[in-house]
Amino acid sequence: MFNILKKKLSNIVQSITKSVSETVEKVPKKITEKKISENDLSAMLEDLELSLLEADVALEVSDKIKEDLKKALIGKDVKRTQAKKIVEETIRKSLLEILDVPKIDLEKVVKQNHPCLIIFLGFNGSGKTTTLAKIGSKLQKKKYSCVFAAGDSFRSAAIEQLEEHGDKLGIKVIKHKYGADSAAVIYDAVEHAKAKGIDVVLADTAGRMHTNQNLMDELKKIDRVDKPHLKLLVIDSITGNDAVEQARKFDEAVRIDGVILTKIDVNTKGGAILSVCKILGKPIVALGVGQEYKDLKEFDREEFVGNLLND
Amino acid sequence: MGKSISDLMRRVLTKTTVDRESVEALVKGLQRILLQSDVDIQLVYKLSQNIRDRSLNQKLPEGVTLREHVTRIIYEEIVNLLGEKQETLIGKKRIMLVGLFGSGKTTSAVRLGRYLQKQGLKVGMIAADYHRPAAPQQLKQLGDQLNIPVHYSDTKDPFEALQSGLSKFHKFDSIIVDTAGRDALDGEMAKELKRMYEMVKPDEVLLVIPADIGRIAGKQAEEFHKLTRVTGVIITKTDGTAKGGGALSACSATSAKVKFIGVGEKVEDFEPYDPVRFVSRLLGMGDLQGLLERAKEAEFKEEDVEKIMSGKFSLQDFYDQISGMQKMGPLDQVLDMIPGMKNAIPENLIEIQKGKLKKYKYIIDSMTKEERKGEDEIHSSRIKRVAKGAGVNESEVREMLKQYKQSKKMIKKLGGVKGMKRGNLAKMAKKLGIKM
Repeated sequence: MFNILKKKLSNIVQSITKSVSETVEKVPKKITEKKISENDLSAMLEDLELSLLEADVALEVSDKIKEDLKKALIGKDVKRTQAKKIVEETIRKSLLEILDVPKIDLEKVVKQNHPCLIIFLGFNGSGKTTTLAKIGSKLQKKKYSCVFAAGDSFRSAAIEQLEEHGDKLGIKVIKHKYGADSAAVIYDAVEHAKAKGIDVVLADTAGRMHTNQNLMDELKKIDRVDKPHLKLLVIDSITGNDAVEQARKFDEAVRIDGVILTKIDVNTKGGAILSVCKILGKPIVALGVGQEYKDLKEFDREEFVGNLLND
Repeated sequence: MGKSISDLMRRVLTKTTVDRESVEALVKGLQRILLQSDVDIQLVYKLSQNIRDRSLNQKLPEGVTLREHVTRIIYEEIVNLLGEKQETLIGKKRIMLVGLFGSGKTTSAVRLGRYLQKQGLKVGMIAADYHRPAAPQQLKQLGDQLNIPVHYSDTKDPFEALQSGLSKFHKFDSIIVDTAGRDALDGEMAKELKRMYEMVKPDEVLLVIPADIGRIAGKQAEEFHKLTRVTGVIITKTDGTAKGGGALSACSATSAKVKFIGVGEKVEDFEPYDPVRFVSRLLGMGDLQGLLERAKEAEFKEEDVEKIMSGKFSLQDFYDQISGMQKMGPLDQVLDMIPGMKNAIPENLIEIQKGKLKKYKYIIDSMTKEERKGEDEIHSSRIKRVAKGAGVNESEVREMLKQYKQSKKMIKKLGGVKGMKRGNLAKMAKKLGIKM
């Protein structure tokens, strides 16, 4: 997972270490320390930016890493033997800081609210329905009862798609006809959950473009009418630099609580994770890593960063 | 750094002769913009190398500014990858759609079907996606709406569906095969696709790519190409904010050209690829067409420009402007033509483009000639009458008048914008549909 980002980071550590060491080596042998100047690093830092861009890391993120490296190195006495360690530690710290946003404990939210309403939103084709089914399966395993709300009444066969998941998992689907009001479908599902004492309502919504004002208004209505306890934005990790723009617009419309990145198994770049955390300050709740119900991974920043920087 | 290439060019290409320094500055800025638009890094280097070489070595034609010259080179280099013209699919009988998960294959299949149907062809569709739940139902529901027959297998076997479907539709003009979304690097899924390809023997394999795809596009396209010999590309979801840079990588990896683009939610929102429009969007160059055409701005008379600069802008002008906008597409791109203007315009002015424009036209239609001059304040009794005539709320009439006043102010401001040559102003005015 994330092989490309990992490789890029490892190259960066190597090349910056090399340039630092070379700078140090230019001075007479007896002196083992030398102050690094901005000039010594500038070419390297420019490469770093391009290199990270290639792994779909947004400019805001690479800017921070660059600044942190500058702070850690410029004007400092760096021992030759220490160069690699300093560079690596700086990047590690930088990445951890980028990912340092308040976490969401899904189970806690579910325990606190009865019934708990979770809605899934996002761009067309990002993987909302699949992700919803995976979360349903996960909660079910933890002995929470679930009901699905077929809030996507727009796309053809979206209801059938959810019903197939419901059949496989033994979870009831509350639906209306196509063209029905999403907010009303979700409302009915919540009423159903209240009546039957069901713990969690997982609501699907239609895929929408953040540029379509009418559809974004519809989302606001769902937010207003159904008052979800958790709004999870589902983003396709295949998305490039636009991911952040999409997330920003959804957040502006309904204030999302967290993000789920899907199709991580297809894209080894991983840059979107950093971009979303840094620019939106929203936590990554989970990662979709395959086609099966079990292919949903909790996101852990320590593990993620450790994985990126370790050989 | 400027947001768009237009800004960048205006800033760095100020000289009238080719000069290395400004070309270098341009290439550097261009690289960043392309990278941010998700274009593959190797491709960015290759493109910028070609652009640099040609800009420096090709003789500047007589009467052409450096900016126009370089614009043409950039455009040609990019179009070289994406394709120069619209291509037709008529005569291509078996068309197979392939792509990653959620790229919009099923939607595109139906839209393509509709497109071909409108050309007078008899079209059938085969559902060969039995991985995503309810995918065949989706195709069937959409096909039913449009009277396009859809064949699918009850046994959920894609190969059986293909076999029976191909024989069922063998007399049709076109057969569209919708395949499951897949990671082309996934062994099992790749094998399935290859087998389908061999079975269908398609005349055309269209790779479906969403406009927001990141740098993974090149690699995946390459893999799909190995499996199926991709012959064309469909770019979907271009109505978002993504620039579509992944398409460049995909085209470069497959040497296939762009054939169609999906531009919205509706079935009709599907168009043959138009190189100028697509490239201007990719680069954020609203003025591409203008620069390419070297519009004859000299034809505009000085006094016409004076009229606009003085701020004389009647409701009739506003009406013409609205009609012009409806024809032109995204207002943002038009605004890109004016240095510094994009940020100066209230967001809601851009929003009115959607839906409201029509109403505004009805409102102005319901006004008297005198009122349309926009010289007198239109008071409440008149607003009441106009609202009734146009079949809208009074508040909508008021809103329209407010927008008109804002536009009037903006037009007045245009005269004072630095870097705005009179010729450009006239050209832009023409684009906006303002009659002079």
